[in-house]
Amino acid sequence: MAGRINVVLRPVKSIVVRFCPFESNVESTRKFLECISRKKIQATNRNCEVTADVRHDGSEPLVDVMFADGDRLIMKGANLTTVEMLTALGSRCNTKELKAEQKSKKKNP
Amino acid sequence: MAALGGGAAWRGAWLPALRLARRSSKAVTRHWKAMHLQRHKLMALTEYLAPRPAVPERCLRPAAGPQEEENGYARLLRRQVEEVFRDSRMIVVCQYNSMPGDDMVLMRHYLRKHNIEVKFFLNEIVRPVLSQSRYKNLLPLFVGRNILLVSPETKAKEMLRVLKGVPQVNLLGACIDDTILSRQGVENFAKLPPLEASQGQTVGALALLPSQTCSLLQHGAAHLTALLDRHIRQLRDGAGEGATPAGPEPAQSPGAP
Repeated sequence: MAGRINVVLRPVKSIVVRFCPFESNVESTRKFLECISRKKIQATNRNCEVTADVRHDGSEPLVDVMFADGDRLIMKGANLTTVEMLTALGSRCNTKELKAEQKSKKKNP
Repeated sequence: MAALGGGAAWRGAWLPALRLARRSSKAVTRHWKAMHLQRHKLMALTEYLAPRPAVPERCLRPAAGPQEEENGYARLLRRQVEEVFRDSRMIVVCQYNSMPGDDMVLMRHYLRKHNIEVKFFLNEIVRPVLSQSRYKNLLPLFVGRNILLVSPETKAKEMLRVLKGVPQVNLLGACIDDTILSRQGVENFAKLPPLEASQGQTVGALALLPSQTCSLLQHGAAHLTALLDRHIRQLRDGAGEGATPAGPEPAQSPGAP
């Protein structure tokens, strides 16, 4: 299911996925990292850096997305499913894409 | 199908469900033929009614179905996992995000040069093996797609160097010499000096104190000896000055008588 969701990463600058693998609530965050690292999604934006920060301090799993226009999306993956995280990111990316397209259309009518 | 003649009771009786029995078709037809009413009623009366149990089935505990036979392939894989955990000193668990095939082959090649093997195992096979062995604390790592890097030696520095060049493989944890380490622990382990050097350092540090003890013990006696030596020299010098006039006399007296 999570493999079918396609996210366009064009408006994204960087994604940092932080988790502690010895905890029990990291499955969805790890799955999210796997889905984000797939070829298809990576191909939408080669400049987007996906970093995995593996710690051992009992902290909650966290996904920190920095967008190109300065926005920041922080998702705490402890109680979220992979699909929810992907759809949240996908919807935000789509709205930003639309805005960018509209802006470019206004500039070049 | 026989003619409706017969007893006088049937003659003139009007049946509620009038079913016309056309006698034009034969007994055995290719199409469905309407049954004679009497036959139809008999069939309905003698229909089979399944016996219903006194206690409905859903109120009873369901009987345990036939146990699934253990797959021989799964057994083989489990045995392989046990062998791997028994024979290798260093086992590293990494998360595997999909990688292009060429990169995978290159990474395997570089790791093979340092005698590190890359193994893929399914979680459903590894988890029962681990839960029964003493590596229970590695269980939470085996969620999602993982790879195992196993080696009979503990070359952590080289392994970290290779993995740094591959961003799609994230080191989660390791078990080196029966010690479970996190990522930070593996990095610290890689920074340690090799075993021989650290053994030499330890031996040197331990040997330092006894060597000092020897000199400490002899220090007092040596000091006393030095002091006495100096005192004797001083006395000799002092006596030598006073005895030089008296010196020749003792030499002459044995010669005089």
